[in-house]
Amino acid sequence: MPDEPLLRLDGVDAFYGKSHALRGVSLEVHAGEIVALLGLNGAGKTTTLRTIMGLLPPRAGTIRLRGRRIDGMPAHRVARLGVGYVPEGRRMFANLTAGENLELAERPGGEWSIQRVFERFPKLRELRGRKAGKLSGGEQEMLAIGRALVGSPALLLIDEPSQGLGPIIVTDVYRTLAELRAGGVAILLVEQNALLALRVAERAYVLDDGRVVYAGAGADLARDRARIGTLMGLPSDELPVS
Amino acid sequence: MIERLAPEVVNGIVLGSFYAIVAIGLSLIMNLTGTINLAHGSFMTLAGYLAFAIMSRGGSFWVALGGAALLTMVVGVAVERLFIARLYKRIPLYSLLLTFGLSLIAEESFRLIWGPSSVPFAVPTNLQGSTALGNIVLPTYRLVIMGALVIVITALLLFLYRTRLGLRLRGAVQDPDMMAALGTNTRVLYTVNFAVGVLLAAIAGIFAAGLLGLQPTMGNSLLMPAFITVVIGGMGSLIGSIVGGLLIGLTVSITTLYLPAASEIVMYVLMAVVLLVRPRGLFGEAGIFG
Ligand SMILES: Nc1ncnc2c1ncn2[C@@H]1O[C@H](COP(=O)(O)OP(=O)(O)OP(=O)(O)O)[C@@H](O)[C@H]1O
Ligand SMILES: [Mg+2]
Repeated sequence: MPDEPLLRLDGVDAFYGKSHALRGVSLEVHAGEIVALLGLNGAGKTTTLRTIMGLLPPRAGTIRLRGRRIDGMPAHRVARLGVGYVPEGRRMFANLTAGENLELAERPGGEWSIQRVFERFPKLRELRGRKAGKLSGGEQEMLAIGRALVGSPALLLIDEPSQGLGPIIVTDVYRTLAELRAGGVAILLVEQNALLALRVAERAYVLDDGRVVYAGAGADLARDRARIGTLMGLPSDELPVS
Repeated sequence: MIERLAPEVVNGIVLGSFYAIVAIGLSLIMNLTGTINLAHGSFMTLAGYLAFAIMSRGGSFWVALGGAALLTMVVGVAVERLFIARLYKRIPLYSLLLTFGLSLIAEESFRLIWGPSSVPFAVPTNLQGSTALGNIVLPTYRLVIMGALVIVITALLLFLYRTRLGLRLRGAVQDPDMMAALGTNTRVLYTVNFAVGVLLAAIAGIFAAGLLGLQPTMGNSLLMPAFITVVIGGMGSLIGSIVGGLLIGLTVSITTLYLPAASEIVMYVLMAVVLLVRPRGLFGEAGIFG
């Protein structure tokens, strides 16, 4: 295949027990791009990331990383193939120090060492002896990104990085994402705050009730606020703003 | 007075260290996988018999200690892989019933192979006898046990807090899915963790065999106090297991001295009192790796 995407989902169905969370989700992420995955509460964004990661095996459909099937693989193998996960709510190992949070994820010999993460996020070097549970939301988000990076991923799955953070910190986080992309890391970025994500994303998908209801260029969507509202099932005066 | 009390205090500490080591193993397994391992006592007894078998073929006590502990750990890994691991995704009742069944099978097997009554498990003569510390005379073997169990606990702490694998175990206790998503094979971690718990039980079992005598029910008789230790110390607290074990050991042996009739029941009273004052146990909030 000449232009095989880095990540490709085809008709993925996922369930929580009997509840049907993803219905035929298809999407692609190419090397070096940021792709936004948008949608309202409960649309299935987190479920999509968990399914890619191998934390929730899909009931149907295929997931490919560089052409290789990864659906049905356990999460640790997906991670070792180059997928980094920055989960919703950050999921720090709260009782461990910031440094230990990085150590337990480090894969020696990879592109990103802990030292390199400290160079990129000097603040984390200062905080490395502090319990992760005691860090601020912004510090935790940086640590969660650093923790995914020490696995030297080709693709980062990031779930609502702006959640609960002040505007200055959010800007900082988004600048980091743009820099990572410039460094060659592709990103699948989940956000409820559509306009925020569309500022950095080349392409976007919108999920509604487990279905992909929009797939296209991020810029087109960003220009068409009413469309975002309709897609996400919101009245036009209740647009999600950045 | 002190001459009479000191041996009982040493007794209590030795007994308490046994409870602590067994309780730590139970806690490790309970914390990471939610498995209440009722077969824990069987691993102690198995290790005792294996050590006995090695010694009766001419091995020294120390060779028997190392060999039997390792063999028991291998059996533990097999049991975990073949049986217990299949039930991790189920409610804890399943593994509780499974390990209860395994303990019954084990006990009857010991009876079939080694007979229903005590086997002559002899500690080496240089560990028998007594050692005088000033004007207090203490049994040498008990001092050796105290020393050995302190070494074991120190080694465990170094493993948990100074190695990469120990760090991953501490992480997995908090969030196994996240550990997996960061590239750690958690199934391997579960097996390692179970093996460590069994190793602790095995070492305790071999030393206990030389102290309490070795018969098919030896390990199970230490299991109940170990569970009470976990409850008193606080579910999942390493330091709680150590303090709880020593507390029970000392209480039981001092009660034996002054009120022998109450020595059986006193640990239950202690548990009731602790739970009334601190329902989560003495160190319940800290968390085992906190
Ligand atoms: N662990 C679970 N068990 C059962 N149902 C779940 C579980 N997690 C999510 N769901 C359901 O699956 C659907 C998709 O949820 P998901 O968390 O993927 O949504 P989301 O788009 O990430 O929402 P949010 O923006 O609130 O994070 C929802 O209907 C949700 O209620
Ligand atoms: Mg979500």
